[in-house]
Amino acid sequence: MLASRTRASVRLARRSFATVVDNAGVKVAAIDSNRSTVSITVLAKAGARYQPKPGVAHALKNFAFKGTADRSALGTVRESELYGGVLSSTLSREHLALTAEFLHGDEAFFVNVLSSVIASTKYTRHEYEELVLPAMESEINALNADPAAHAIELAHSIAFRSGLGASLFATPHTPVTARDVEQFATAAFAKGNFAILGTGISQAALSSLVQSAVSSASAPPTTSATTYYGGETRVAAHSGPQTIFIGYGTSGSPAAELAALAAHLDPNPSIKWARSSSPLLQDGKTSVHSVCMPYSDAALVGLLIQGPTAQAVREAGKAAVAALKGASDVKAENLKLAVAKAKFRLASTVDSRDGLLEVLGSKVLAGSSETSVEASLSSLDKITTAGFNKAATSLLKGKVTYIAVGDTQALPYADELGL
Amino acid sequence: MAGPLGISLAPYIRSSTTLSKIFTPIAKWYAGGSLYRQYGLLYDDLLIEENREVQRALSRLTPRQAYDRAFRIKRASQADVLHAPLARELWTKPEEDVRYLLPHVVDVVNENKERETWDTLTVKRK
Repeated sequence: MLASRTRASVRLARRSFATVVDNAGVKVAAIDSNRSTVSITVLAKAGARYQPKPGVAHALKNFAFKGTADRSALGTVRESELYGGVLSSTLSREHLALTAEFLHGDEAFFVNVLSSVIASTKYTRHEYEELVLPAMESEINALNADPAAHAIELAHSIAFRSGLGASLFATPHTPVTARDVEQFATAAFAKGNFAILGTGISQAALSSLVQSAVSSASAPPTTSATTYYGGETRVAAHSGPQTIFIGYGTSGSPAAELAALAAHLDPNPSIKWARSSSPLLQDGKTSVHSVCMPYSDAALVGLLIQGPTAQAVREAGKAAVAALKGASDVKAENLKLAVAKAKFRLASTVDSRDGLLEVLGSKVLAGSSETSVEASLSSLDKITTAGFNKAATSLLKGKVTYIAVGDTQALPYADELGL
Repeated sequence: MAGPLGISLAPYIRSSTTLSKIFTPIAKWYAGGSLYRQYGLLYDDLLIEENREVQRALSRLTPRQAYDRAFRIKRASQADVLHAPLARELWTKPEEDVRYLLPHVVDVVNENKERETWDTLTVKRK
């Protein structure tokens, strides 16, 4: 009996959107996994790269779930508290996601909340000034207090300049007005520009629920194709660890090799508390994250190094440059390790709800018929040593993106690390 | 209840065609007769502002509206010091006398009411 139950749950634990239904111009996809909660996400192609004015996407993200024609901001919060649901909005460089997570049985209410948010948010000036701007300010302050996040933001703006280079955050004292946000929202939630994704709910149930979802008929926001530039920048920061980022980017659809390369560069041991002898970690004095950020038409791969002193970071940086240069000449057995690591990372990302939306949501929006993670996993399997080395060589031929955040007097310059 | 949203018969009068026909000319005559227009003020400049609702509503004015309001009040105070109304061309024209503050006050009062409702809600299982 136990065996049959296990098999049943294995069969149900799906990680792909079975089908994508085009519901009067709105793409609807659902995974009916055996979970006790339901989540419904409105995923719009309205990330920072689509914003017409810097900071508008950040403002729109924080304007989610404010006053609509149906209920006020307070009413939305209190009523969803009564149902025990969680409402959240997340912004990435490509997508804006409005998510409601709740218990089975409350689908009708939360679909109504989401559809009224996308169709009839009022974008009033006083809500913008009283509720949205303070929230934006605190997020900007949190960013400035976190050198790692700051370095990644800077890396994008240096690497891609416009488009993908646009910051996820507005600047303090942003010139964005509530009217700008309203215009951007109309474009963002235009027909065909967003998809509705559900987990823990059946496709048919979700489709019938979102019949009423209205979308505006205006033109969706546009963005330019991404070009990779690269460059170097240094920003002084007085608190937090010394941080450098060394990365390379590509334009064009990201290859599977890049995920394997990031896994190959990662020096962190796979066992908790284990000590790694990697020179990047400087005997535990520095921490290193390997960064691989794939986008629809570009990717950024690199190493983020943080340490308490500039000297430790400098030593780790030299080791990182050596590791990057060595990546274009990888042996077959090391590649095997890297591919296995990359596969595990991808699969474990997709196991979480956020990760699933991040990885598969863009595929649904793009109208791709392949909306499962198996294709990505099998493309990782197909990586050959020659292909990997070729991809690494061409990546490293580009100009480096080098960011230093912290003590700019002591942190190394890119040429001092041999870049 | 005294204050900007005190008891008023105006909605009732406005809802009736006969009553509004009778009262509109009287109201116009009364507003023209009260001196605030001769001092360059708008009716909403006279709202009692020493309470939280109106203070919150005042914070929602656009910078331009807030500046104009402060200007009108200063000019009227100066005219009052001089014990004379403004020159005739500076008087507020009836069509300029718009309720720029009242909608904000109504919004704030409704928001407070809604908050109170949610705060004292009794939840019943269906």
